[in-house]
Amino acid sequence: MKIGDLPYVGDPLEEGAEDRVFDSLLLLGPVIVVLIAVLGRSALTTAIAVAYLSSFVGYVLYRGVFEGA
Amino acid sequence: MNEAAATIGRDLGRIFQALAGLLFVSLLVPLVWGEYWAMPALLVSGLVPFVIGYAMTTRFQGAAQPSKLHGMIIAATGWFCVALFGSLPFLFIAWTLEVGLPIIETPSQTATLAAFTDPLNAVFESMSGFTGTGLTMTDNEEVLPRTLQWWRSFIEWVGGVGVIVLTTAILARPGSGSLTLYESEARSERIHPSIVSTVQTIWWIFLLFTFVSILLLWVVGMPIWGAINHGMTGLATGGFSITDNSIATYDSVAIDFALLPIMLLGSIAFPVHYLILQGDLRNLYTDLQTRWVFIYMSAGTLALTALVYVTETYDTLFTAFRYSSFQFVSAATCAGFQTAVDTTNVALGRWPAQAQLTVAFGMIVGGAAGSTAGGIKLIRSITLLKGIRFRIADVFYPETAVRRLKINGRRLDEREVRQEFEEAAIIGFLWFVFLAVGTFVLLVILPQGEYSLENVIFEVASAQGNVGLSAGITGPESLPTLGKVMFLFNMWIGRLEIIPVLVTLRTVLDRGGLYQ
Repeated sequence: MKIGDLPYVGDPLEEGAEDRVFDSLLLLGPVIVVLIAVLGRSALTTAIAVAYLSSFVGYVLYRGVFEGA
Repeated sequence: MNEAAATIGRDLGRIFQALAGLLFVSLLVPLVWGEYWAMPALLVSGLVPFVIGYAMTTRFQGAAQPSKLHGMIIAATGWFCVALFGSLPFLFIAWTLEVGLPIIETPSQTATLAAFTDPLNAVFESMSGFTGTGLTMTDNEEVLPRTLQWWRSFIEWVGGVGVIVLTTAILARPGSGSLTLYESEARSERIHPSIVSTVQTIWWIFLLFTFVSILLLWVVGMPIWGAINHGMTGLATGGFSITDNSIATYDSVAIDFALLPIMLLGSIAFPVHYLILQGDLRNLYTDLQTRWVFIYMSAGTLALTALVYVTETYDTLFTAFRYSSFQFVSAATCAGFQTAVDTTNVALGRWPAQAQLTVAFGMIVGGAAGSTAGGIKLIRSITLLKGIRFRIADVFYPETAVRRLKINGRRLDEREVRQEFEEAAIIGFLWFVFLAVGTFVLLVILPQGEYSLENVIFEVASAQGNVGLSAGITGPESLPTLGKVMFLFNMWIGRLEIIPVLVTLRTVLDRGGLYQ
């Protein structure tokens, strides 16, 4: 099943930057939030959240510097 | 029933159905938090707009596409009705605790929640939420049920992007008059040629940034429930909080500074975000509004820091900078989070008059058009300044000279300058007219000597700019009924940038268009 097949939210989620990394970050976001809500604050959950934020910032900069117009 | 009423009815019905969807989705919150007693109230709150919306869309299924006039009426009445229906959870949950339920056990009523048994307070909270204002009728958000804490954050989050944008993204299909409605909700920017694709991309960006904001706040120390709510309301530049003293409750330098980029993200136009995500970082300085977001926030922060430091409101330069940067960015992005409160430092209402007016200036100008921020908007302020300079310089050129005005990379001819300047001038003028009216009304109805003129201007600018900072006037008891009604109007016109509301009121008054 593709993300665009989801009812109601499929179309909006299929739009965006048309980039697999950003799409993955969008899909991982709620999973990490739920994980943190269930497991609480720990070294593991902190590391996951920091990795998520670093990936986002790093990838924006990477695209801007190396792939930008 | 004539054609116009059918068109308006059909599109209002769609908006009500989208609102019902938000309420049904929110049923997950009482389920997760075990607030089962809140579920019947939430369910009924969703059924009311759903049934009405379904009936209207079915009845007017074949109606014509909306014209510009219809679009404005739909936007204005749609937002007003959404605020009315959105108040039902506050009202019903408050009354659930007031009278109890036959089978499910309910907790005891609190003074904070009891305020929402008054329908006016409930509508005020809802209008404040949807318009992204953040002024509140609660005196302690911490004691609210999680369901209502969520509902307040959720409506600000949706309202930040727009109710019509939401409806268009989910329910509309290409060629269904979406552009007319989209433009009536104070938006004009396009990311893609198709308006449906544009709004879907806006939601995509907004969702991604929401998760980034939530996780950033959590990493710097905010509990996850606070991070979810403040991440949503911070990015939407709404400003509702789940704590009694807004962000000051955490009294954390890291949280204060982490919220700055979140609020700034919310005040930058979505097309610029899209281009930046595409790798075009140059837009951070080549786009006129984005460039000015940074210049204006930096200049305002420095001016405010100097004012509160020189007047010895704060002892150290760092403390002055910490509170000034947060309060200016919070005001100018129209978020309305507060860190300047008496419990941890010095309340905004007790800052020197010149400092309060600097913050009020930030609220009036606002953020970038095409973002979630309110106020007059940066592009209009820049158009007014450049237009005035253009007009004055005109005298020094020969009459036959062909002149162009350059704004944001566009070279406007005389006719285009007139058109853009006129639009900015009309909205700017009306903004100040209603600011003056609101100030006058408040000065008349508030107890004499209790609040200063700068307090009153600050509060009205905050309501009309959809900011939510308070000098202490807004509250269930402190703000008289007429003041609440006035603020409802200020928030409504502020969100829709005045014109659609005035067009609707004129239509209602002389029945123009609807019954001809």
